[in-house]
Amino acid sequence: MSKSKKEIISMDSISKIYHLGNNVVKALDNVSINIYENDFISIMGPSGSGKSTLMNMIGCLDVPTKGVYKFNNELISEMNDSQLANIRNEKIGFVFQTFNLLPKLTSLKNVEVPLIYSSLGKKKRLQRAEEALSIVGLSDRMAHKPSELSGGQRQRVAIARALVNKPSIILADEPTGNLDSKSGIEILNFFDELHKAGNTLIIVTHEDSVAKRAKRRVELFDGKIVVDE
Amino acid sequence: MNSIFKNILIGLSAVRTNLTRVILTSLGLAIGIFTVSIVTAGVSSIDKEFDKSMEYFGNDKIYVGTWPWSFDFDWWQYRNRPKIDEDSLEYITRYSTYVTDISIKKSTWTRGSFSNKSSFLQINGVYPSYAEMLSGTKIVNGRFFSQNEWDLQRRVIVVGGTVRDGFFDGEDPIGKKIRLGGVTFEIIGELKKQGMGMVPGGTLDTLVIMPSSTFNRILTRWGFAELVLKTKPEDMSKAKEEVGMIMRLARKLKPGESDNFSVNSADAYQEQFDAIKIAIAGMGFLVTGISLVVSAIGIMNVMFVSVRERTREIGIRKAMGATNNNILVQFLSEAVAISIIGGSTGIILVKLITVALSSYLPVEFNLLLIFYTFMVCVFIGVSAGMIPARTAANLNPIDALRHE
Repeated sequence: MSKSKKEIISMDSISKIYHLGNNVVKALDNVSINIYENDFISIMGPSGSGKSTLMNMIGCLDVPTKGVYKFNNELISEMNDSQLANIRNEKIGFVFQTFNLLPKLTSLKNVEVPLIYSSLGKKKRLQRAEEALSIVGLSDRMAHKPSELSGGQRQRVAIARALVNKPSIILADEPTGNLDSKSGIEILNFFDELHKAGNTLIIVTHEDSVAKRAKRRVELFDGKIVVDE
Repeated sequence: MNSIFKNILIGLSAVRTNLTRVILTSLGLAIGIFTVSIVTAGVSSIDKEFDKSMEYFGNDKIYVGTWPWSFDFDWWQYRNRPKIDEDSLEYITRYSTYVTDISIKKSTWTRGSFSNKSSFLQINGVYPSYAEMLSGTKIVNGRFFSQNEWDLQRRVIVVGGTVRDGFFDGEDPIGKKIRLGGVTFEIIGELKKQGMGMVPGGTLDTLVIMPSSTFNRILTRWGFAELVLKTKPEDMSKAKEEVGMIMRLARKLKPGESDNFSVNSADAYQEQFDAIKIAIAGMGFLVTGISLVVSAIGIMNVMFVSVRERTREIGIRKAMGATNNNILVQFLSEAVAISIIGGSTGIILVKLITVALSSYLPVEFNLLLIFYTFMVCVFIGVSAGMIPARTAANLNPIDALRHE
């Protein structure tokens, strides 16, 4: 972790507090973390430790109750819904455990989805989607629907979708959780390549083998960061 | 703008994938639009027909008779009124400043025959001045009778279009002789055919017109009589008032005694007709309006189902950067599309029915109707889709993504 790298994310004393009836739940308690360009981070922790909340927060799907969150020096914690949507659209690529592809759309159309919410024209959108699919090696599966693809292929389509907007960071939530070990390793190898190509990756996982691939390991417990190395 | 269009396309693709459901839902609206269009077209053609009928009476005519023109008259009050006679006519001629032409019009029914054809005909006996008062029609062939012919009680007649068609079937009737009540009359004129009106007695098509002198001599001295007066349209109300006063004078009525005659004009029909029209339109629109509301509720229901089914999709799209407005537009356009499909089906039904019934129902089918229907559909779609679409737009992306 060198200081010369450009800082992408800066979180300062972030808390997320839920009120469940009379109980006050601190999903995140005074968390501070900085993420730099070309980081490869794994976020680990038992369930209920707040790792999903942290990921939603980083992914701008959620806003903190307290604290300052800056993304590329833009103040996320003060943004409204549509500004957050724009940040998600332009800066963040999501990869989910359950792939979350739209079942009625072809691979190509699925990869195109983020671009639809950008200002690109149709021709440009399809061209970019094709490029992204060729990066994940699925140029020959563009017209297939998710139901016609294997689990590993589906996750590669999802990764292509995450890449298509050339995001600042790629957030993966248990990306291998629904895959057999062989496909899982394939996907992880692919993440390595993405990292080598200069992408910033954050993987939320509870598997040590996955976390080992990462260059930086963050562990959460009871809403606090207990390990960051 | 571009982004709105893209979200509309997404909404439309949802319609394509759920086509059966969409068609069933839109059927309700199709029926609603169909009934509304039929009622609208019906009311507007009743209106047109009525205006045509009113033309027969003329907006410059006053009719003085024993009976008021009213659909709810109390006949027992009027049946003992004195008959209208030529004395009143002379009073009006002498004293009125607004009336420009005047004629008596006596009516009776009698059998008329020509060669082997025979029919029951309505006969009017009038003055030569009645030539100026043929509202909505005119002499198209031959001429009206003259003062001289009236004075000499000549057996000459002018016939309406229907009478001409019935007896002569396209042949020139001028100079032909027909028998009325056993006496031979010569046809000297023919009126332009008007077509059927909605108000009874309006059209002159079925009439045979002759000098009232001849009418009295040959047909009957009795018969139903009224006075037909002509004035300028702008003087109508003043003229009616004036004629009412003169009639009281002619009838030698004391102050406080009520009128024993009626001064009528087409606007009396107009008022009553307006009331009937409002009743028909009101009932029609109430019933059809309910069907539109019901179909809107149907669309809303389906939209809620659609939002629920696609909660996860909404979450995915939001994670990919869709704003609340993007989602709103997507679901609104789905609702509007369902609504327009329904409306178009309704319009096609209307078109089919107007083609099938064009000879019975004078229904107007035009571009304006299509335009209005389109606007109504957009309105219904937006109103029905607004609440479900807002629900969708305001979904929390994290919850939506977790939705199974």
